[in-house]
Amino acid sequence: MSQYQRPGLKKIEEFLYHETGLLDRMEIRQWIDLFTDTGDYWMPVTPDQEDPINHISIFYDDRDLMEIRLRHHDNPRSHSKDFTIRSSHVLGNVQIASFDETNGDCQVSCNFQCVMYYRDQQQLYAGTCQYHLRLIDGRYHIQRKRVDLINCDAPHGSIQTYV
Amino acid sequence: MSYSVEDIEKLVEPARVHRKVYTDEEIFDLEMERVWGRTWIFAGHASEVPNGGDYKTFNIGSQSMLMVRNRKNDNISVFYNRCTHKGAKLVGDGKGCAKAFRCPYHAWTFDTEGKLLATPPTKTLETSGFAPDDPEYNLRPAAQVNIYHGFVFVNLDANAEGLHEYFGDSLTSIDNMVERSPEGELEIAGGVLRYRHDCNWKSFVENLNDNMHPMATHQSAIEACQGYAQDLPEGSEVPETVHILGPFGSSYDFFEDMSHVVFKNGHSYSGNKVSIHSAYPPVPDYVDAMETAYGKEKTKEIFSCARHNTVYYPSLTIKGAIQAIRVVRPISVNCTDIETYTFRLKGAPDEMLQRTLLYSRLINSPSSIVGADDLEVYERVQAGLHSHGHDWVSMERQKDHDQPQEDGSIEATGSSELPFRNQYKYWLQLMTNTEAVKIKA
Repeated sequence: MSQYQRPGLKKIEEFLYHETGLLDRMEIRQWIDLFTDTGDYWMPVTPDQEDPINHISIFYDDRDLMEIRLRHHDNPRSHSKDFTIRSSHVLGNVQIASFDETNGDCQVSCNFQCVMYYRDQQQLYAGTCQYHLRLIDGRYHIQRKRVDLINCDAPHGSIQTYV
Repeated sequence: MSYSVEDIEKLVEPARVHRKVYTDEEIFDLEMERVWGRTWIFAGHASEVPNGGDYKTFNIGSQSMLMVRNRKNDNISVFYNRCTHKGAKLVGDGKGCAKAFRCPYHAWTFDTEGKLLATPPTKTLETSGFAPDDPEYNLRPAAQVNIYHGFVFVNLDANAEGLHEYFGDSLTSIDNMVERSPEGELEIAGGVLRYRHDCNWKSFVENLNDNMHPMATHQSAIEACQGYAQDLPEGSEVPETVHILGPFGSSYDFFEDMSHVVFKNGHSYSGNKVSIHSAYPPVPDYVDAMETAYGKEKTKEIFSCARHNTVYYPSLTIKGAIQAIRVVRPISVNCTDIETYTFRLKGAPDEMLQRTLLYSRLINSPSSIVGADDLEVYERVQAGLHSHGHDWVSMERQKDHDQPQEDGSIEATGSSELPFRNQYKYWLQLMTNTEAVKIKA
């Protein structure tokens, strides 16, 4: 028998609620620390996009870029971030797509709606998230969070922070 | 109000323009007719429609257009995207490959050369009094179409000067981008980003040759990037992200040296001798491929031309050294879509396209920390120009230091606002031309 047990859905849901809760509270430092050192955040620009390297994406942040983005956000001269960003995520249809009993990794998907508010304007982002979760020292870390907006290929205004 | 020529003349002075040119809907409507209806507008790149029947739609202001690779002769045509029967938009927005174009309303069907093929029902056609073989019923082509190194441009005015004459020596920026391919050919690759800008189209176009804004507008992005790089443990490899964002933090002196060259008809580029794109780390396999294709000397010459943005007024801006282009699609007086496309240099390693895509994601994406601060200032300009407190937008810097060249271009130091003055000189010429546009070739 493997040393790794398939996690219950509740455990996964709790992790996702924690992760999106950090975004909703703009606790970006703690949010970045959920990622592995080689982890990334990817928001493709086309449905079913296969490749973040040889195709353009809306977001494709490694840890370097996450750190730079955080510093930009916190910089007092970051004019596009003068106002508080507020967001509210609702997650549903959480599923464990696969579980690797050799290392405890999970592929998880869920649907989401995220309302984001910035300076008198409210945006609704909705779609599907896929997570590659990696078990490190008994705790889940994110190897990849992929966010597929249902309107990924529409013209977007500035997307102020991670969805 | 209805603008007379005299009214329009009052809006533009040699070094300042009235705020209404950015905020007045009526001016916008006139621009669509007199500026966008009479100049060479970028449609797309030939590599987007490689095979017979391939098409894409695009807009010139309110005009929906259809670019298509003909099945019969492999030429590229551009048509008004309108059924010649009841006027329905013939093809829905987007791209694809078609055997023929069938209108969803009454099934009028056109071939890829624009010829009307079918107008059902055929049974009663002969006695119907309607003659579909009248060429008036074929799709109406744009008055002029011309292709330069695969860049497809259209002009909706048959009276307008030809493409080469219109763009003049500004075309050398496209030449340089093409020469950066070891095979001398470009191919659109890696998809498109569409970024909605709630601002007037001219604010975007002007900013592309505005060398004096990065130090203020992008100070936060620069500090974020430099701070991160400084805090990296000693001996760490510098991430490519830092190589790309870093040069935006160059000094006023550096951007001063990134001098301007302007041409007639509003075109211009900055970074005449040096630019923020001059010093990326070389990709060895790429340099080898270039030297094999062109020889060492010529390769050096090609790379030494690392211009910043070139503006092909009014619809296209390119970065040859990065192989990325931004296309301007005005929606209304205060809304503009910016489309970013990237190119594969044929014969170059994939790494080159990957760097181009990284650049676009960092700078041109709706998530960009650079682009978002640019858009913030454009939107503040759009809001601020509604102020009754002041009517004029100033473009005076270095106005007495233009350096006219023998070839007809004008050069100026990097802090000069010459590119804007040059754009409005042409804008005024177009906007005060009340002659009707000649739609048919």
